[in-house]
Amino acid sequence: MSGTSRNPRRNLSRALSRIANADVYETLAQQSGPSAENLPRIGITGAPGAGKSSLIARLAKLRKRNDRKIAVLAVDPSSPVSQGSILGDRIRMDAIADDPDIFIRSIPSRRAHDGLADNTADLLNAMEGHGFGEIILETVGVGQAEYTIRTLVDTVVLILVPHSGDAIQAMKAGILEMADIYVVNKADLPGADLMATEIEQVADHQSADGWTPPVIMTSRNDPEGFAALDDAINAHMAWQVNHGDPAAARRARARYQAQALISRRIDEVLEAAGEDILDQNPGELFDAIVARLGRTNEA
Amino acid sequence: MSLNGKRILIAKPGLDGHDVGAKIIALALRDAGADVIYTGLRRTPDYIARVAVDEDVDAVGLSILSGSHKELVEETVRCLNELDAGDIRLFVGGTIPAEDHDELRDAGARGIFTAEMTINDVVAALDAELSA
Repeated sequence: MSGTSRNPRRNLSRALSRIANADVYETLAQQSGPSAENLPRIGITGAPGAGKSSLIARLAKLRKRNDRKIAVLAVDPSSPVSQGSILGDRIRMDAIADDPDIFIRSIPSRRAHDGLADNTADLLNAMEGHGFGEIILETVGVGQAEYTIRTLVDTVVLILVPHSGDAIQAMKAGILEMADIYVVNKADLPGADLMATEIEQVADHQSADGWTPPVIMTSRNDPEGFAALDDAINAHMAWQVNHGDPAAARRARARYQAQALISRRIDEVLEAAGEDILDQNPGELFDAIVARLGRTNEA
Repeated sequence: MSLNGKRILIAKPGLDGHDVGAKIIALALRDAGADVIYTGLRRTPDYIARVAVDEDVDAVGLSILSGSHKELVEETVRCLNELDAGDIRLFVGGTIPAEDHDELRDAGARGIFTAEMTINDVVAALDAELSA
């Protein structure tokens, strides 16, 4: 069955599928201009098992006050072997899964290696104009390099857990520098205070633009921690109104989107060309790829 | 044989609390290339239908060991239709006596998977139904 459904929610979810499945040329053809709505976007990222999905469930419940509906886009990793995936974020969002005011869409990362998914930027744009007040984006569990979420959202929340000291070392030159808010989750575990102190030292170095990222402790049985996170997000959004650089943010998004499309186009070219194209030295291969980038796969 | 690009919801309606079978099927479908969403235990047909719509799945697989498969299948079909999603294909797996199969098919089940079937049988049946 195709066409328009009488159920608006079905129309939205189908539109998201079309975008998620579109190849590069289809994506370009479907792209509409910059969104008029410009919904606030919150990005939640952190290592695997840090508690991103569970935290989003708590957060979305707080953020949806005053009739504000919330859309959640949750990315899970695709298997490099089968290309399949278990989209398991939803099951951790049990507390909000039954709430009709919260729309959750799970997507596989597919070819993307940046903690996001193919066409994430377009998926986020497509979630605008459907009566939501805010969008929350959850990355796959990230290591150190996947900080492209920075360009796609307004507020980046990085979730850490106690005793991830080594992880912090690894992240120092990556996502750790990009966060607007730090959360030490599972703060009822030993080592949380030490962890928070370490992060505060990193955060203090980061206030060059005038925003010092707060460090917030959360644990499942402590509602105050989640309320503090909610407040911190509001504070960062308010700060951005006066201090943010929308033009720079727009340019960064455009750049990311174009680069992501070109990178996928290279994958498409290589897949369409077959293995023989790889029997060249890197210089010849480079020229061969560049020569085909602008063509369709059928050419 | 590949379920690449297919989105499948594995759901546990009703009151039985055993989801080993559902999880094994979920992993097998992932290994066959599908993107799989699992609801968790004890979900209502209404909830399952709403998740199926929001996630825009191609198929829903109900795992039922409680014996209430007739009621749960009928109710899930009714809820899907209510959301204008009657085209999402519905499958049932679990302890389903052979004498109930016709009735379940009449109610809208496109396939019935029982313990006698191998994982490959299940994947092949889904593949055939979803690429049709």
